Amino acid sequence: MRLGIPSQILAAATVLVLLLIALVAREGVARTEGQEVVLEISGYDPRSLLTGHFVQFQIQSALAVGVPCPPGSGVSVGKPTTWVALRRQGDHHVAAGVTPSRDAALKLGEMAVRGDVDCQAAPTPDASRVIMNLGVDRLHIDQRQAEAIQRTLQIGRGEPPAARAVVSIGRDGKARLKGLIVGDKRFELDWF
Amino acid sequence: MARYRERLERDLDGWIASSLVPVENRAAILASVVEVRRVDASTALAVVGALLGGVAVIALVAANWSDIPRVARFALILMVFLSAAGGATWAHGKGRLLASQTLLCVAALVFAGAIGLTGQIFDIAGDPQAALRGAGLAALLLAVAGRSPWTVAVGLVFLGLGDLARNRFMDDASAWPGWIAVVAPIGAGIALWRTSKVLAHVAGLGCVVAVMTFDRVFAGQADLVFLIAAMVLAAAAFGARMLQARAERPAGVLYGWLAAGALLWFGVSGGVGDTLGGVVHSGAWLALSVAVLALGRHDRHVTVTAAGLISLLAAGAFLLFNLGVGLLTSAAVFGGAAVVALGVAFVMRRAVHS
Repeated sequence: MRLGIPSQILAAATVLVLLLIALVAREGVARTEGQEVVLEISGYDPRSLLTGHFVQFQIQSALAVGVPCPPGSGVSVGKPTTWVALRRQGDHHVAAGVTPSRDAALKLGEMAVRGDVDCQAAPTPDASRVIMNLGVDRLHIDQRQAEAIQRTLQIGRGEPPAARAVVSIGRDGKARLKGLIVGDKRFELDWF
Repeated sequence: MARYRERLERDLDGWIASSLVPVENRAAILASVVEVRRVDASTALAVVGALLGGVAVIALVAANWSDIPRVARFALILMVFLSAAGGATWAHGKGRLLASQTLLCVAALVFAGAIGLTGQIFDIAGDPQAALRGAGLAALLLAVAGRSPWTVAVGLVFLGLGDLARNRFMDDASAWPGWIAVVAPIGAGIALWRTSKVLAHVAGLGCVVAVMTFDRVFAGQADLVFLIAAMVLAAAAFGARMLQARAERPAGVLYGWLAAGALLWFGVSGGVGDTLGGVVHSGAWLALSVAVLALGRHDRHVTVTAAGLISLLAAGAFLLFNLGVGLLTSAAVFGGAAVVALGVAFVMRRAVHS
């Protein structure tokens, strides 16, 4: 049976819609099934008016004075082709090093995620800062909530972080944002 | 059209007076001129009203976007896309091919927006290049389904933007040229096959831009890449010129873009690297520019003429730069170029008269 052009247009549009729905479903499943880690964050840029309402943040933490940068860290190279080893430290995770493979990363920490680490080394008595680039840097949320979170992130600059990102690490090694913890309040991503 | 009819009536009266046209043919000739239906005030107001209504709906949705549940937002986007695609289907079924093409383009653009908005709604972190390429492939799928050259053009634009979105400082070690290097020539072929000038413009520009995506394939040999690209584009321009002579309309559009691209990349090949730069290259560029300018005038092709003229100015500036900016040297160079141009013109004129 040969389809006419109008039918072919409808078929193509249906395929595209199904692909988009499949993408959303796959990401949702991967986010739910992934291993959850909590990472320290801080605000660093004003929100862009053109991108809608969102909170922009950086996964950033300070090292204890005298502690060297994680091995393999350096200037950010952007697109994640390397793996970041994560090690538990109290109630959250920190970067333990950057390696070219997942297996090598799992030798440095208990979890591995795609990404890289930029370390701003500082001489004593200042503390070095570690910035993780995991492809997760914003949370789209209602404007009022976004502004409240942003204020907290800006106020917290230079002090112990008052906000944390809850990230799911899937079997593919990709980091997916699950929500933010700001103060004692948790903002979750859901379907509604 | 009304003005044409009035002019035709005047001309016909003149031709009849000069016995060029029999008087009995006057009515038949005038009857053959189709009157275009004029849009009356009520139709114009209806169109404006519909447009304003659409803007009002968009503003209403935008104002409440954050308050709409995520799933409902997603469904809304899919509905807009399906409406545009459904409209294209309906229009094609009714034989309104232009409306169908237009709505398919709208559907392709809405789907591109849907990719971005879906990422925003569900906070899906993604690669901009993958998103743009996805939008491009979606447009091509719609184009194939609807046999729509305009939608192919939309697809080419997205695929080209996807190639340019690649950040050379952030990319992996992939050594492949951009997708546009493959799809732009195919688009040019489709433009010729389907006689689409719109697609010919986009595909022609795509062929020129595609050269930029070869930088990683031949790392460290940019000058050679650009020189070879100039030669390939010049050969393609020659082919398009031959097709233009056979009254292939989109071929003329391609001829202009390809000729301009050939001159552009020839000039750039002398500005990068150490191998091809210098006075000889600038002189060759100058001569080629003059040749293209003359060819453009000969073919009465505005784009080719303009490309030759702009290239001529750029080549002249580069030549002076390479020689050192001495006034006497400049006078000698321009004087020599003028003598050569006048000599060639004289020989050509003699050839025409003999």
